[in-house]
Amino acid sequence: MTHMARELTGFLYPFIESEERDGSSLLVDLAASAEEKVAQSRRLRTTTLERCASRLAQAGEATAQRFRQGGRLFAFGNGGSATDAEGAVDLFLRPPSGRPLPAISLVDDRAVLTALANDVGFDLVFSRQVIAHAQAGDVAVGFSTSGESRNVLRGLEEASHRGLLTIGLCGYDGGAMAASDAIAHCLVVHSESVHRVQETQNALVFQLWSIVQAHLGEGADA
Amino acid sequence: MTVVDTTLAPVDHRPAEDLAASALSLARRFAAGATMWCVAREWPSHGRHVAVEFVHPVIVGTKALPAVNIEGADITSTLRLLARPGDVVLAVSSASDRPTVDLLRRAEAWGLTRVWLGAGPRPSSGLAEHTVWLEGTDAARSARSGDLVLLYHLLWELTQVVFEHPGLLIPEPECTGEACITCSDEGRVAEVRAVHGDGSAAVVMNGGTETIDVTLVEPVAVDDLLLVHAGVALTTLGR
Repeated sequence: MTHMARELTGFLYPFIESEERDGSSLLVDLAASAEEKVAQSRRLRTTTLERCASRLAQAGEATAQRFRQGGRLFAFGNGGSATDAEGAVDLFLRPPSGRPLPAISLVDDRAVLTALANDVGFDLVFSRQVIAHAQAGDVAVGFSTSGESRNVLRGLEEASHRGLLTIGLCGYDGGAMAASDAIAHCLVVHSESVHRVQETQNALVFQLWSIVQAHLGEGADA
Repeated sequence: MTVVDTTLAPVDHRPAEDLAASALSLARRFAAGATMWCVAREWPSHGRHVAVEFVHPVIVGTKALPAVNIEGADITSTLRLLARPGDVVLAVSSASDRPTVDLLRRAEAWGLTRVWLGAGPRPSSGLAEHTVWLEGTDAARSARSGDLVLLYHLLWELTQVVFEHPGLLIPEPECTGEACITCSDEGRVAEVRAVHGDGSAAVVMNGGTETIDVTLVEPVAVDDLLLVHAGVALTTLGR
């Protein structure tokens, strides 16, 4: 039964769903749904990588330049995006190939995060760390699927103010991040599904990393 | 300048079907009160990501479900204490990560349902009830290019869909009778809890504690893994 049919008939036959005992047809539907979503995810990645190609090339070249001059990369985000920021840091620090590069996650340290959240508020948890750690030659990468996360935006604003190269990754229409002058390279994934946005953001970071590796040479097979 | 191709390696029909079966199992376990323990030793950020998906869903109105990421030097000791029979362990790893393989073998004795997500060469079967694998890919690259994230996002999405079918949230059919190959004709994995010194030992097996004959495999020690058939330990699988 389609979802709509279920809604229309549900009040007449309230026992149908709870009487459903055979999972085999649901398994077929679930597998089909998974395949459809894989296809959606792939399309979104392909179109986004194409659309962002020149922006990625510029961001990659600028990031490589910072690394070449001794800069480090700082990454941050909230929730699933926090873990994507950690994943990005891991990719630069412990790459599957090429040259390991200095990167630091600003979501790793529970003591720092909870101290800042408790004492000065969650909006400032990244910007205060930028003030503490970052130098003008560094790179800041902020993740926010909505583009509206205030703490990510504040972190990137502080980074820009201090002369860091700023890169923003966001979804939907880019939100406040797309409109911000503080973000030198804003990569927007045009989707309203947080999951599809995050998958493509991973691909964007991977591409950024591979461009950086290509610029830095030295055994990168990228 | 060359650029790495980040498009997904082809996902054939099998991962989609495996995901569907995993989701049905997972929803049934959650409905029965299970906690899902997430372990991603090689890529801890994925363990945290998948846990936050279940605990704090991005889609308003979907169920918050108990998932906990476990990290640290000894995930096996931690989970031995925390996990209860009927819980789920979700491992995200490559097939070659030995501590994950060790954990999954023990998890069978502890009575956990095992879901294993990964990429690269496929692991041997029998280590998990559900293995969802992106074959033909490089694990280290899949871990960072969005492929693995897609895999557990889909697991979450499909699990939520199963909750829309309350009639299917019944426990999975139990293994009964002599015809069941898994429990009857082949040995079961057991973990030693106490050695009695009289040729017997207390073990945990299928999530319960039993006393078995260990004369064929002595000496045994606490935490040894044994293969047991009809109350007799036949071989040692390691410690």
